[in-house]
Amino acid sequence: MAKPLIVARDLSIIYNQGKSNEFKALSGVNTDIFEGEYIILFGPSGCGKSTLMYSIQGSLPPGEGTLLVKGDDVYSYPPSERVYFQRHVMGIIFQSFNLIMSLSVLDNVALPMIFCDADKTTRDRRAQSLLDRFGVGHVSGKIPAMLSGGQQQRVSVSRSMVNDPKILLADEPTGNLDSVSTQQVMDKIDEINTFDRRTIIMVSHNAAHLSYAHRVYYLKDGKILREVVNPQRKQIKPVREGETIVTELEQLARLYPYDSVETWRVKSMINFLTQDYTFSQIARLEHAVGLFIEGKINRDSFIKSLMQPSERGGVEVPEDEAKRMAKVAERIIKNSDDIRRFRARKDNDAIFFSQDKLAERMSEHLANHHRIKLSKQQNENMTELIADRVTGVANDEEFNSRLMKGIRSKGLALSENEADDMTRYFEKIIAQGVDVSYKL
Amino acid sequence: MRVQDLAQLSTRMFKTNPLRTWLTILGMGVGTGAVVILVGLGFGLQQIILEQIVFGDSLLSLGVSATGAQGLTLTPEIVQKFEANEAVVDAAPLARFPALVTYKGLTGNVFVQGAEPAYLRYAGITPSAGEAFVEEDINDASSIMLSPAVLKLFGIEDEDAESFIGERVSFRLLVPADDGTDLVNEIILDKEYIVKGITKEEGVLNALMMLPELREYVGIDEYERVQVNVVDNENLPLVEAWLVEEGYRVTALSKTVEQATQIFKGIQAVLATFGGIALIVSAIGMFNTMTVTLLERTKEIGIMRTIGASPNDVKYLFVSESIVVGFLGGVTGILMGVILGVTVNLFLNFIAGQYGGQAVSLFAFPLDFLAFIAIFSAAVGYLTGIFPARRASTLNPLDAIRYE
Repeated sequence: MAKPLIVARDLSIIYNQGKSNEFKALSGVNTDIFEGEYIILFGPSGCGKSTLMYSIQGSLPPGEGTLLVKGDDVYSYPPSERVYFQRHVMGIIFQSFNLIMSLSVLDNVALPMIFCDADKTTRDRRAQSLLDRFGVGHVSGKIPAMLSGGQQQRVSVSRSMVNDPKILLADEPTGNLDSVSTQQVMDKIDEINTFDRRTIIMVSHNAAHLSYAHRVYYLKDGKILREVVNPQRKQIKPVREGETIVTELEQLARLYPYDSVETWRVKSMINFLTQDYTFSQIARLEHAVGLFIEGKINRDSFIKSLMQPSERGGVEVPEDEAKRMAKVAERIIKNSDDIRRFRARKDNDAIFFSQDKLAERMSEHLANHHRIKLSKQQNENMTELIADRVTGVANDEEFNSRLMKGIRSKGLALSENEADDMTRYFEKIIAQGVDVSYKL
Repeated sequence: MRVQDLAQLSTRMFKTNPLRTWLTILGMGVGTGAVVILVGLGFGLQQIILEQIVFGDSLLSLGVSATGAQGLTLTPEIVQKFEANEAVVDAAPLARFPALVTYKGLTGNVFVQGAEPAYLRYAGITPSAGEAFVEEDINDASSIMLSPAVLKLFGIEDEDAESFIGERVSFRLLVPADDGTDLVNEIILDKEYIVKGITKEEGVLNALMMLPELREYVGIDEYERVQVNVVDNENLPLVEAWLVEEGYRVTALSKTVEQATQIFKGIQAVLATFGGIALIVSAIGMFNTMTVTLLERTKEIGIMRTIGASPNDVKYLFVSESIVVGFLGGVTGILMGVILGVTVNLFLNFIAGQYGGQAVSLFAFPLDFLAFIAIFSAAVGYLTGIFPARRASTLNPLDAIRYE
């Protein structure tokens, strides 16, 4: 069995030991990290994930327990020799990039080599090639302040790789970045793991990143709560047969990373009780419906993707069911347009449709859909009720109760079942049609 | 870290914070400038005094005079006795008689002195106008050197001393009678002497002629003074001690120079103390700046430490930065001090020129002194940097990187 690259045994770190504000940041942490692994330390802020990472980095001596990197106890060396690890074994990137603003981008990347007495030609060539690789070669002459956050972080990645370290440590590297830059940086880090075969230890609280890792350590209150293996990646850590099995819980852990194991068990049970589809089917269904709602695929492709087998990314729904789903979804989406128009009228006086006309049309659709014949008075009341609900005068409960009220008191006198069905259906239409983006 | 990289990294402050860096350098500059100008003044004063003293033979000479208390007299035999000493090269005597001097009908009291040209060399007598007697003049029977006070006697101003050269004066010697009475014999020197030069002796009425010429008129069996020229520096104190033991009063020019140097060392020390206070003030200012810089750069130190800078790298960075600032401060101070000193010199000389005075250099800046100041200021820079640097190197990188 391969020897782990990093071994922590009963690692405890206590801040301000012996003082009144003593704080145990890590207690009794055990972990084995193998060469070439992509590890994410995940958890809420204050859980000790950064503490663990910086302890591995060599800046936080453990209070108790042992920490071995490549079989060496880093902290047994004096600080002047400990830098060997920071120079040749570990590269680091930070959330706030931490580039030195008074140096050019090229010098920033070359800085770790300056401390290793490398000559200028060698280190400039190395730094430039890394900057080119990470797509920021054209800005090497600028100072970091002139760069965007994404560019700065890629410069920082270049800097971390300049001495060709075995381990790349990343402290929430995308915490300060927009989604596009986040994707670029995450891809680069993934590339360093899969292509350069470097060990990655990343601190993160972004659940979207968990799928990159081989294994995720969930930390809370200074302890490792659990270790979740990513079934989508071939594991490097040797697994003894039968010791750990991949279950639905791992899947739930990635879907709902902030929930506890108990909640996942509940979710697993409820899924079985109320739904005919598995979590992975639901995930793929969500993807297809998303595309359909956004109008990126038409009805036929939607039905096709629902019917396709799971190996090809489909949901494996029978044809009839797929067609039914497409029909319902299409109808809801179509009718939701009227909600949008109605709400748009609020600010923009009637040009093509009056609000009354729209409300009447919606009322007609609801009646037809639920096969209810409405008298003239009922129809008037219904139109008014819809207008109230769509403008926000009435909430869903009021809408429901007014459907059941007598015609004289502006109700429709529907039965409880009819009212519930209609409310549920109409709320779905509203959910599709209402514009929730923030406006001043 | 390589030296050129260290130099590049530790001069970043000129780019990142030019105003503060230059102000710190200026602060150090004013401090060292104060030292430079004040000590320069001390050197200048010393030079002005010592310039008046002629070096060479005069430094190896001892002036011997009889105290009179022990009945010692400086007879020609005694002079021969002095010369007989192995350590003595030569002994040049000086005879002196009161006399009356007459110039264009004006008559005044002076002392007529007779000496050989060697005496002038040994005693360091130089002319302020005209010429002094040299070896060839030993038999000159018609020339005379006067002290400036004699000119005053005739109402001649110092400025006109040059025009008095070549004038003719006559003397009457007043020689005490050798019969033991208080009577004075007046000996008329029946010729006119041409003024050859004016000496620099202040406050005495002297007329100096060659000893053989004086002997023509009066028998000399007792000298006023003898200048004893000694072989070398080592023998100077030995001969001096011997003479003192014999009962003579001995003055040495070398001693005077030594004493003057001592005094000026004292004056320089006092001046340097005042300058030093200014320097301490600016050094404290610089220390303060370095400490603030440390705080400001805490995060940067943290970054450097986490990406592989050793504690020593961080320390060297800070120390070299403060040495650069200190050294440049020293250079600035030297420039300021020298420029100010030279300007004052020029100004004083201009004023002196306007009023017909002599040109003097009130400030002097020996090169080795300036080099010392440059090195010293770099050392002050080192001292102000070493404590912040030590602190920087012992910072926990993690605390440092989180410092805002």
